[in-house]
Amino acid sequence: MSEHILSVIKFSGLDWFWAVALIVVMVACGIIFYRLGKRSESEFFLAGRGLPWWLPATSIFATHTATDTPMWITGVIYKYGMRGIWFPFYCAWCAVSAFVSTKIFRRSLAMSQAEWQNLRYSGLGAELLRGWLAGWQTFMNMFVLAWVSAAMGKVCTYLFGWPHWLGLVSFTGMCAFYVLAAGYWGVIMSDFQQGVIAFLGITIICGWNIHEAGGPTAIVAKLAASGQSWRLNPFYFDKDFPLAQFLTLFVMATVGGIGMGNFIDWYPEAQRIQSAKTIRDASYSIWAGALMTLLRNGLWVAAILAFFVMFPNIADQKEYEMGWFRLGFEYLPMGMIGIFFAVILAIHLSTIATHLNLGALYATRDLYHHYINPQASESRLVQVARFNTFLMLIGCFVLGLSMRRITEWLIFALWLQAAGIWIPSILQVIWWRFNSWAYLSAWVANLIMSWLVVLVLPGLGVLPKLPDYQQFWLLALMVGVVYLPVTFLTKPDDMEHLVRYYVMARPLGFWGPVRREAIKRGLIKAA
Amino acid sequence: MGIFEKNWTPEQADEWTVHDLVACVLSVVSYVLVAVGIAAALLLLVWGFVALAIGIICGVLMYRVIDPKLRAMSKAFAKRQQQYLEQVDKAVRWEK
Repeated sequence: MSEHILSVIKFSGLDWFWAVALIVVMVACGIIFYRLGKRSESEFFLAGRGLPWWLPATSIFATHTATDTPMWITGVIYKYGMRGIWFPFYCAWCAVSAFVSTKIFRRSLAMSQAEWQNLRYSGLGAELLRGWLAGWQTFMNMFVLAWVSAAMGKVCTYLFGWPHWLGLVSFTGMCAFYVLAAGYWGVIMSDFQQGVIAFLGITIICGWNIHEAGGPTAIVAKLAASGQSWRLNPFYFDKDFPLAQFLTLFVMATVGGIGMGNFIDWYPEAQRIQSAKTIRDASYSIWAGALMTLLRNGLWVAAILAFFVMFPNIADQKEYEMGWFRLGFEYLPMGMIGIFFAVILAIHLSTIATHLNLGALYATRDLYHHYINPQASESRLVQVARFNTFLMLIGCFVLGLSMRRITEWLIFALWLQAAGIWIPSILQVIWWRFNSWAYLSAWVANLIMSWLVVLVLPGLGVLPKLPDYQQFWLLALMVGVVYLPVTFLTKPDDMEHLVRYYVMARPLGFWGPVRREAIKRGLIKAA
Repeated sequence: MGIFEKNWTPEQADEWTVHDLVACVLSVVSYVLVAVGIAAALLLLVWGFVALAIGIICGVLMYRVIDPKLRAMSKAFAKRQQQYLEQVDKAVRWEK
């Protein structure tokens, strides 16, 4: 493939029109919703908690469709066929969350997951957890911004031959305009438009891809003729994709929906849950947003199988990961290439906007407002929120321009979050006795043991290099050896605090003593 | 209480019941079938259309089971939300 493809394919005037029109509409969002965004901290970060379900739903879909998403999904479908659909299936945690953790979190009224720690737990442990999560999330959002902006830099180099820094800085900078001006109002309103544009665009482009490969029947026939029919079976298991791996992915996704904070996606979703008008709106927003994401995955599966039929022998992962982009830019007719580029811009801007605002939320609500200036006025908080948004942008540029070598270390950091705290993140929702020290110890143990299991012990030859899904269960077990004794060796959280939380949030699971105390105090009625 | 119960009191809606479990199961089945169904249907595979149809039916059933409960719970909680928000502001302050 050529280093950059615009030497082959030129943008027509109509193509440029689509791209510029999208940017103008997004920037207009910042101007239109400027007044709403500046009214208070709650307006700047949660749009006043008054959104109907379909706005956060499209935002969830738009946010989780980033510039690097088609590369990743193309990679797994090209390699594994239709069964590769189970890798991005983790978004199905929303199937359960919509009716369990979403309801509980919405009822808690916490502005962020870090604030929820203060409501669920009490004392010093709760403060330590809140501080840790606030710092971690501020950094993680900056990292995601840098990562996604770097992916945009690569796309612009591929398309236009721009230097890496120009693609990285330009579109992210434009996005920052409407996030700085209108806060979450700007994010949600532009996400709605971006979500609709992205979904329609992906549908049209995937349809075109299938057509270019000869149509659906020809794709199936070509796969059969080359002995590759197994690629059409989502439940085909072999040594490359064993049943145990599928079950791990499936259990992680579905049972994980009971917990809070066990997926990196939980944090933006938590913001959308709280911005919904009612509990019902929150539940449907999560459910519908994930459904749109799964439909998108289904569309991509068919398009990438079309790409496989057209180019079956690509061995280099970096090359076949660009398959969807290649189909779009090399096979779409003039005038539609601009729509394709507008779709790419839409999915880029939506992710950037979300993480700029979300990082600023943790820095403002959980660090500045909670620890530095608890008496701050609403106008002061909005000023600080804008300043923090700007800091997130600068941090994103610095990290993005220097991250090529550190990317794999930071992906490892994401993995650290996923494995060992998956079960504790469920326990904190369903078990009253699980306290702040147990959750903190799980985080610390996870940080240490992930290094041991993934890098140190295999490096020393003590442990073989295990597949991801085996590492996951081993880490879950090893971290459990730490937090379970800590739970029983430390005192439970303050009963007064737990009762208050229980009455408000009504969590499910093992809350017997707290429930009995709430009934005794006349705060809830016995069933 | 029937699985398609329409009349919920706020107290009943606040409790976890079998309806939540059924909604979760139907929701997961719906997601699985829609995800693989749409991909297969686009390639005109018959089983894809069948999976997609069953997935949609599961989604509709899920809505019928859980929506009346969600409505009752949301309505009751919305009335108390302002009072709860004031409580939250006090509860999460680290300075008294």
